[in-house]
Amino acid sequence: MGRYNAPMVRRIIVDPSKCVGCRYCELWCSYKHEGVFSVTLSRIIIVKDDRIGLDYPIVCRMCNPAPCVKSCPNDALIQGKDGIIRVIDVKCTGCGLCVRACQYGAIRLSPKLKKPLVCDLCDGDEPICVKKCPTNALRLYPLAEEDLCENGKVFDKAYRCALREYKDLMKRWGIHVR
Amino acid sequence: MSDKLYGYAGKVLRINLSIQEIKKESISKEFIYGYLGGRGFNVRRLYYEVPKGVKPLSPKNKLMFATGPLVGIGLPLGARLNVTAKSPLTGILGDSNVGGHFAAEMKYAGFDQIIIEGRSKKPIYIYIHDEDVEIIDAEGIWGLPISKAYDAIRRELRDWRIQVAIIGPAAENLVLFSSIFFNVYRPAARTGLGAVMASKMIKAIAIRGDGYIEVAKPNEFERFVEEMEEAIYSHEQYWPRRIMGTSRILLAANRLGFLPAKHFTEAVVEYAYKVSGERLAIEYNVKNRACFSCILPCSRFYVIRAGKFAGIYGEGPEYEALAGMTVRIGNDDLDYALKAINLANDLGMDIISLSEVIAWAMELYDRGLLNKEETNGLDLRWGNMETVLELIEMIAYRKGFGDILADGVAKAAKKLGKGLELAFHVKGLEMIQADPRGLKGYGLGFAVASRGADHLRSEPFIELSDDPEIGRKLFGEPEATLRLGVRGKGKLVAYYENWCALIDSLEVCKNIAENMEILPPDKIAETLRIVIGIKMDINDVMKIGERIVNIERAYIVREGIRRTNDTLPKRFLKEPIQKGPSAGHIIELEQMLNEYYKARGWDPETGIPTIEKLKELNLDDIAKDLISHHIKLR
Repeated sequence: MGRYNAPMVRRIIVDPSKCVGCRYCELWCSYKHEGVFSVTLSRIIIVKDDRIGLDYPIVCRMCNPAPCVKSCPNDALIQGKDGIIRVIDVKCTGCGLCVRACQYGAIRLSPKLKKPLVCDLCDGDEPICVKKCPTNALRLYPLAEEDLCENGKVFDKAYRCALREYKDLMKRWGIHVR
Repeated sequence: MSDKLYGYAGKVLRINLSIQEIKKESISKEFIYGYLGGRGFNVRRLYYEVPKGVKPLSPKNKLMFATGPLVGIGLPLGARLNVTAKSPLTGILGDSNVGGHFAAEMKYAGFDQIIIEGRSKKPIYIYIHDEDVEIIDAEGIWGLPISKAYDAIRRELRDWRIQVAIIGPAAENLVLFSSIFFNVYRPAARTGLGAVMASKMIKAIAIRGDGYIEVAKPNEFERFVEEMEEAIYSHEQYWPRRIMGTSRILLAANRLGFLPAKHFTEAVVEYAYKVSGERLAIEYNVKNRACFSCILPCSRFYVIRAGKFAGIYGEGPEYEALAGMTVRIGNDDLDYALKAINLANDLGMDIISLSEVIAWAMELYDRGLLNKEETNGLDLRWGNMETVLELIEMIAYRKGFGDILADGVAKAAKKLGKGLELAFHVKGLEMIQADPRGLKGYGLGFAVASRGADHLRSEPFIELSDDPEIGRKLFGEPEATLRLGVRGKGKLVAYYENWCALIDSLEVCKNIAENMEILPPDKIAETLRIVIGIKMDINDVMKIGERIVNIERAYIVREGIRRTNDTLPKRFLKEPIQKGPSAGHIIELEQMLNEYYKARGWDPETGIPTIEKLKELNLDDIAKDLISHHIKLR
């Protein structure tokens, strides 16, 4: 996971255990980017299966290198140093190869314009999905970086195990523990 | 003003299954300003399109789904849908309101209302994707319980985002209190609408919408929503509701003494904690779930972790189901209750009605009025849950004794010729899980509600405040807002009925909008200005609510309902509560009723709206129609 630690790279991380599936994020994402309320035009997707209680946010993970960027035959997708993948509308033909390339299903084409919908972290603002989430299931990563202690200095097996697993948990809260 | 409709999808979808005709109609602004949406749209159309005398399970009945202007637009409380038809259970107005994600999806598909007419020759399901409407063979899924049908349809349509309205085996067998389930755990439960859907041979309606909705004043809207979010987040009820939903009511009802324990023979129980929402939260719940666009996720996903039913999971339960499968039938075992709720849900029944028919049979059995021969050998002791599980299946599949109960408590009592006075219903609809002797405004609400015994038509929660100052201020009667008070309840219930009609027509959450008072009538006017772009004041808005209540009343008056039907079962009128904080109380209904008709401007002798009132509400046509049915209007 080290590649995400590069300075300036922030991404939205999700804590699916907290997601309640209200899709408030989808609605406001669509509103912020398109000026209308729609779940189809959202750049974040909440996958749901009511029978088993599944609510799971899917959003761009800013892979580096990014398969979607590589897959575009017209160089219509570029990834900035900040990790954000941006669409150059005039170059995009709506072929959908990027949609196929993304293994997370985090890119879709808008139904009418056939342009890729991909998270841009609201371009500098606090992402609206993060702001609107009622349960803190979405966070901007990293919110904070912490140095707790180095693994080598951990003096106890149980402590080491707990710390390792707790760090994973903290990552879901947006705290990156080194 | 432009022709653009803000806040609405703008179209009505009309499907006639008999002649396989699909029509899309536009909605007039006049209709919108008169009725707003949801419940208002549905009842207005029902009044004209389903005339007097139509048999509820015949092709002439119409099944209507409608949502409102505040759904799908990023307001933190709008997700609801009203389902309406003539009820096979009561023979009068059938109407039920449901949350979840269906309503928003329906709007994105472009429809504020869907009307289904006629009857298909064979089982079908309807698939709506934006403009495209398909009628698909459902031979393979007919007979499946709700959860299996849900999975099958999602697989067949290869789309996890579709929202599905489904009926279960109970509806297919025309159980008169069967429900329509939205996805898996959310029913439009009451008044037997599942049977209406089954009578049309519709197993399910799957919907997916890729469209969008706009609001009239986007600049103001963002700040307006932020303020509403803050009001919700900072509300004292936010966390209790988020942790327990309405399941928290059980323990509170025990504290105040209005539980329906053992078929309303006891208002308090000793084992309340064992079957409470508090215990569910601590021992069973694993996560929260929310309706569409809601920031107060009050629904809970539970897992039974140990014992005989270990591994059973599901969403809910809310207070009504919880109390129904515990205290009402004398059961103190939470695992069994969850199992029973799960089973009844999957078969597709309204648990309020179900709990009444079972509790009624149990009381008869307890009094020796019903013997084992009549119950097919079932031992209907209080709280005998193995038998209850068996009986739930027998009702859903109409087997033996279950066949009698499947018609609802009123018809079952008639058929058996016993327990007529113990059949707790109003106008054929079974009573909810609250003893009206301990909640008198609610009690009056049950007696006059347009769909039968029901709290959601008025929900005068304010009487639980027990604060006389509020009553004095709002209604000029301190007793109005005392739980056990009598004077002023007529005004109280009339006011709350109008407000609830508005909430059901805007299709916002009653818990947040009304109980938490996030959307009082003046705020509704403000919301409509920003979302739809129309200017109304609080009086205009309340008039719409009153209009909807009056049409509903006219509808049931046309079907023969009069003041004599606005009553409660004898136990509540004559026998005082034995124990607990409400001990000694009966419900003084007649006095409250007189006050109510006065507050309503209805004829106190007959309970029929007066000509003057109908005219004041621009319902001259309704007045004319009633007169044409030889109904005398004062």
